[in-house]
Amino acid sequence: MDLYSFVLGNREIFKLIYALFILIICVIIVFRTNRLFQLSLHQGIRYFRNAFFFYGLAFFSRYILDLFLGHHIVDPLFEFFIIVAGSFLLYSLLWKKIESEKGTHSSLFNSRILIFYFMAIIIALIDTIWSTMYVMFFSQIVLFLFASIISFYKFKNNEKRKKFPGFHFLAMILMFFAWILNLLAPLLFSWNPIALINIYFFNAVFFLVFLFGAIKISGR
Amino acid sequence: MGKKRERLVVIRDILKSIQDNRNIKPTRLLYASNLSPQMFKEYINELIEKKFIAIDIDKKDKKTFSLTKKGYDFLEEYRVIENFIDNFGL
Repeated sequence: MDLYSFVLGNREIFKLIYALFILIICVIIVFRTNRLFQLSLHQGIRYFRNAFFFYGLAFFSRYILDLFLGHHIVDPLFEFFIIVAGSFLLYSLLWKKIESEKGTHSSLFNSRILIFYFMAIIIALIDTIWSTMYVMFFSQIVLFLFASIISFYKFKNNEKRKKFPGFHFLAMILMFFAWILNLLAPLLFSWNPIALINIYFFNAVFFLVFLFGAIKISGR
Repeated sequence: MGKKRERLVVIRDILKSIQDNRNIKPTRLLYASNLSPQMFKEYINELIEKKFIAIDIDKKDKKTFSLTKKGYDFLEEYRVIENFIDNFGL
């Protein structure tokens, strides 16, 4: 029995393990970055933390809440959390151009962030009405394309770059390709389970890269 | 004209001045911080509010600043915070 057959044969267990794995990574990143934010009051760290908070919520809803509530309720929720998470990640790279360094009182409820929620609700609604995930896939491809470009320029222009040559850029590129694969899964592969396993693998690597960075840099 | 200091650097400089000159007086800290009085007031109020520094009043009713545990923690972790921001492009 090859690896794919083994995974497919125990699909539900592997899904749960995968969800718990990503959830644990998100919790670790949120706690580590929250500690750095509490000390530094740096808005970029705050938005970065929020991104992984929403990724955690997304995976919790998609694979764990789904066991109790069913697809019809959970799918729009999952889309909402994923889109908001991606938006926070992009905003963590851009916030300095948009708001003052002092930031806002609340990083979850302010006029700029409400735009993310609004966009996420619209996209989740359209996908629910059309019974697809295409709009979310497209939105994330565009978002991570922007994030990759910004990340690349930031890395290139960073005078202090030393030990971690562009791993942040690498994570963004990985996620960009993961979302393209996500889009191709229904379009080209008709949700082929083996293609899905590879997508899960890509997603896991994205989170691992961030976890590696968070642990390596925060040092404890 | 020099490049504007980032907010995190300003906070580091203020806390470092307080650490280096225990019980530093407001006027001396203002000079050491190299900020305008208005900006200085804003930073100090925020640092007090967030419990990074404390105001001590002596017997002669003179105000001085001292670092709290959170302020010491910030200075200890400053490099880590700076690295994190640089490496994640925040």
